[in-house]
Amino acid sequence: MGIKGLTKLLADNAPKAMKEQKFESYFGRKIAIDASMSIYQFLIVVGRSGTEMLTNEAGEVTSHLQGMFSRTIRLLEAGIKPVYVFDGKPPELKSQELAKRYSKRVDATQDLAMALEADNKEDIEKFSKRTVKVTKQHNEDCRRLLRLMGVPVIEAPSEAEAQCAVLCKAGKVYAVASEDMDSLTFGAPKFLRHLMDPSSRKIPVMEFDVAKVLEELNLTMDQFIDLCILSGCDYCDSIRGIGGQTALKLIRQHGSIESILESINKERYQIPEKWPYQEARQLFKEPVALTDEEQLEIKWTAPDEEGLISFLVNENGFNSDRVTKAIEKIKAAKNKSSQGRLESFFKPTATTSVPLKRKESKCVLKHPKSAIKSKMFSLQDCNSSRPNVIGSLSLPIFNLGAKHFIPLSRGVCFST
Amino acid sequence: MLELRLVQGSLLKKVLESIKDLVTDANFDCSATGFSLQAMDSSHVALVALLLRSEGFEHYRCDRSISMGMNLGNMSKMLKCAGNDDIITIKADDGSDTVTFMFESPTQDKISDFEMKLMDIDSEHLGIPEAEYHAIVRMPSAEFARICKDLSGIGDTVVISVTKEGVKFSTRGDIGTANIVCRQNTTVDKPEEATIIEMNEPVSLTFALRYMNSFTKASPLSNTVTISLSSELPVVVEYKIAEMGYIRFYLAPKIEEDEDETKPQV
Repeated sequence: MGIKGLTKLLADNAPKAMKEQKFESYFGRKIAIDASMSIYQFLIVVGRSGTEMLTNEAGEVTSHLQGMFSRTIRLLEAGIKPVYVFDGKPPELKSQELAKRYSKRVDATQDLAMALEADNKEDIEKFSKRTVKVTKQHNEDCRRLLRLMGVPVIEAPSEAEAQCAVLCKAGKVYAVASEDMDSLTFGAPKFLRHLMDPSSRKIPVMEFDVAKVLEELNLTMDQFIDLCILSGCDYCDSIRGIGGQTALKLIRQHGSIESILESINKERYQIPEKWPYQEARQLFKEPVALTDEEQLEIKWTAPDEEGLISFLVNENGFNSDRVTKAIEKIKAAKNKSSQGRLESFFKPTATTSVPLKRKESKCVLKHPKSAIKSKMFSLQDCNSSRPNVIGSLSLPIFNLGAKHFIPLSRGVCFST
Repeated sequence: MLELRLVQGSLLKKVLESIKDLVTDANFDCSATGFSLQAMDSSHVALVALLLRSEGFEHYRCDRSISMGMNLGNMSKMLKCAGNDDIITIKADDGSDTVTFMFESPTQDKISDFEMKLMDIDSEHLGIPEAEYHAIVRMPSAEFARICKDLSGIGDTVVISVTKEGVKFSTRGDIGTANIVCRQNTTVDKPEEATIIEMNEPVSLTFALRYMNSFTKASPLSNTVTISLSSELPVVVEYKIAEMGYIRFYLAPKIEEDEDETKPQV
């Protein structure tokens, strides 16, 4: 799924491009969410124990509805305006990846059967999760639910992440929320992870800024796409023996996959025979997505109370009190989203787009990922040894002036 | 090398008290012009802009423009250790990652040095364009603070509307409603007690009281407060700091949505 090891690669090489943000700080923001990914997560997580899942009277699974309903309300209550984007037809290049996933699922189904026979609870849990598949019906149910809730839905002609990125680039939404790092490769200017995580997990939202990623990695967007293809994406195989770190080194050295191919040792690294990296690149650069103004028109509306009750309570066996309460929450939430944000009035000054490197070392106050603690020590180390006051003599004077003088004159001290 | 000596040390204490609850970390910018700060609250709804001009300091040395990232809570803890009559000197050496606050008692018999670690803060500077405001209200800061406090007992938001009649603050909550009208009043003994309303156009805006209340913590800095309003612009609540500069709070209004009353289609 997504780009292999990109999170870690960025944490190591572009820590400033990722920021931890509070969930609450996204109020008033329009955010495009990759719906298929969310539904998949809901099916795995919500109301599951062993092979049992939440179902309605007819025995149809309702985990996705429960998940979608409660998480969306959580977003709305925080004043966030979500727009869900559904996957369309997968690109042909993805068929290989999809076939792989399919065979994994078949394997898992067999393993599950065995586990059931052996009554091994752990294995049942593990394999039943792997057999999860998002069906057309699941998607259709969620679309219907969202429309009833007054939340806009967009059907992507192809990949949902690509469509999300287009929405974000067009300024229709502030950011894209997904767990799939593909979104960055598709060039979504801002990309959020963990937005849809349950509140109980208390994981802060991780915000990625693509411009900063490029700046920190010192790559162009095209080079970044090449880096992602080399690291391993959904659309084509990667070269054996080349992972994220090596890929970054090679791209920095050679600039593009073509020049890398010319110069690397073909015996050491076996290039796949059929390697459609150019097509993959094309998919990332110009994905199939809706771009018309009209098609991208998104509107949030009032919830359809009767519709929700009949759909959730009557058709899917939800508790009617809980649904009624939830509808009240949706209505109350509308109030909250009316608070404006300062950025809609004042724009960041030009200086911030070309931030002065205050330090040569890459330091972060809070390391974004605890999983890479070993790295932290070295980072902290450089943090303490570096002066925090910007007095380093090596910095050219005019730069300092640019950083601090312009914002002062423009931003703060307009005359009184 | 940076050395700023402020005889009226209490002023810095008051500044910190007024902003530390709104903003947790901020960069103080120091240049030849003065000591300044621009920071947003974590939700990016309110912004504080502070300027203490260099002329207001007894001694002001700033060799080049630098910015110092500070945790305002920690800074406030340190400044609380200064007496109200103390002279405060802010010092930082080139290449150091700390800032020193030196407190001298007026009689010079006690000198305290507090050294605080600096932080590296990534913050955005917003460009605030100069704007013509539709209405500007100047009133006693204590009066404004009282109004905000009173209204927040009843509702969460305040509608501030300026008309020919005066300036009206109103709120609505579960228990009922409240309306407070202040009329122009210049016939007072002391000029700072006056309420002066300049209006080019009537204006009415809605704001979250929580933030307004937070701004009024700057009331000890000035007897008067100036509220500048324009439709669809953040309100500016300004407290002048005598002979030194100002502290300004910007707050984004609440925006009524008009598009949503259509029934969803299924």
